[in-house]
Amino acid sequence: MNALARTLQALLFLAPEPVPPKDLADATGAWEDEVGEALRELGEALDGHGIALREVGGGWTLVSDPAAEDAARRLLARPRTPALTPAQAETLAIVAYLQPVSRPEVARIRGVASESAASALVERGLMEEAGRSQFGAVLYRTTPLFLKLFGLRSLDELPDPAQWDPSPDEQTALRDRLLRAGEERAGAPAAGGG
Amino acid sequence: MASPEVSRLDLDLDVFAGPFDLLLALILREELDLLEVDLAEIVLAYLDHLQARDELDLEAATEFLVLIAALLELKSRLMLPGEELEELDALAPAEAAEELLERMLAYARFRGAGGWLAARHEEQQASLFRKAPLPGELRRVPVDAAQAAYTPDVLGQALGGLLRTPPALDLRHLGPPRVSVADRLAVLRRLLARGTFGFEEAVRGADRQTVAVTVFALLELYKRGEAGWEQKEPFGEITVRAGDAPPAATEDDDGAATP
Repeated sequence: MNALARTLQALLFLAPEPVPPKDLADATGAWEDEVGEALRELGEALDGHGIALREVGGGWTLVSDPAAEDAARRLLARPRTPALTPAQAETLAIVAYLQPVSRPEVARIRGVASESAASALVERGLMEEAGRSQFGAVLYRTTPLFLKLFGLRSLDELPDPAQWDPSPDEQTALRDRLLRAGEERAGAPAAGGG
Repeated sequence: MASPEVSRLDLDLDVFAGPFDLLLALILREELDLLEVDLAEIVLAYLDHLQARDELDLEAATEFLVLIAALLELKSRLMLPGEELEELDALAPAEAAEELLERMLAYARFRGAGGWLAARHEEQQASLFRKAPLPGELRRVPVDAAQAAYTPDVLGQALGGLLRTPPALDLRHLGPPRVSVADRLAVLRRLLARGTFGFEEAVRGADRQTVAVTVFALLELYKRGEAGWEQKEPFGEITVRAGDAPPAATEDDDGAATP
């Protein structure tokens, strides 16, 4: 491992947050492409060690090896954070893909009010308020912590959501079912109630 | 229901002439379009009405405020494009199904994405990050600026007068009472020995505590029959004269506690 790679390892060991390549270059006085090369070297050198090099949220950081998780959680007395509830996961997905997005918009897509899921996500630091829509509704966006905890380099790394769209067959089936239900309702005024 | 003063408020607007409560009824039954009613005119009419009456009935005024505020909110909702959803009932079945389908498709996409995020969250928890004591924005200070704070000059300036010992506080005024009834008894007896005297004379230049103790001493002398006094008017001069009994023999008998 060359001198720059060793220095970078020391810096990342000390840094409590992911460090952007530019900051690493500024601190070491090296060029950014040299830093990039040294980071590659460091990543390879750490292979098989108890820590690994990761790029998350636009910066570089050292993380503990997954094999050490149980021991690390016992040492730090830090249990896993609770899993996302389905409501939180859906709300977070809408915000992650459509941000900035207003709360009424989230509610419109989910079909139910999402206040408590949204405030829980804000509480967990995964998303934050990003101003107001033209109608005065709160807008949400994801936080750097979101990228860090989900191991994402940037929002571009989110997978294409079209993969979860229902297939054309499923869509047709759904449409037929809805149309039938609608016609039945229109054909039975008593049920409609006015 | 509306108080007579508000409900009978006579209005003469572009689109309506009559009492206020009729206007309300028409708006609520949607026989009159609220968008065409000039609410400012109603407020002006009410203000004119108040001026003519020349007195403010608080209950009626409150009620008017509540009603006009409700109308304003209703009207502003009608004027602004709402964020509320269109009622599906208002659409034809085919349109409704189409709309519902759109929503369900969009929802399916994000439900899937949510599932992916939840799984990713679980999976990523296997690797732990170093935890920082301070948020980043508080630590990002250039080394130069951080060093400057440690020069002795900066510290000295910051400490300033704190290094000097302040003068000790004078607590003498907090000491125990130094004037005793016995002392004042002695003073009064000395004055009585010379004859009649004014109370002012006995306490000239004394502090409040001495004046109060002197009053006690005088009462004590009166009780023992050694002295009497006259005061012609409230707050007037008190003239103290000798009583019938002879002065007590002992100087150190303060007598204050004995009945």
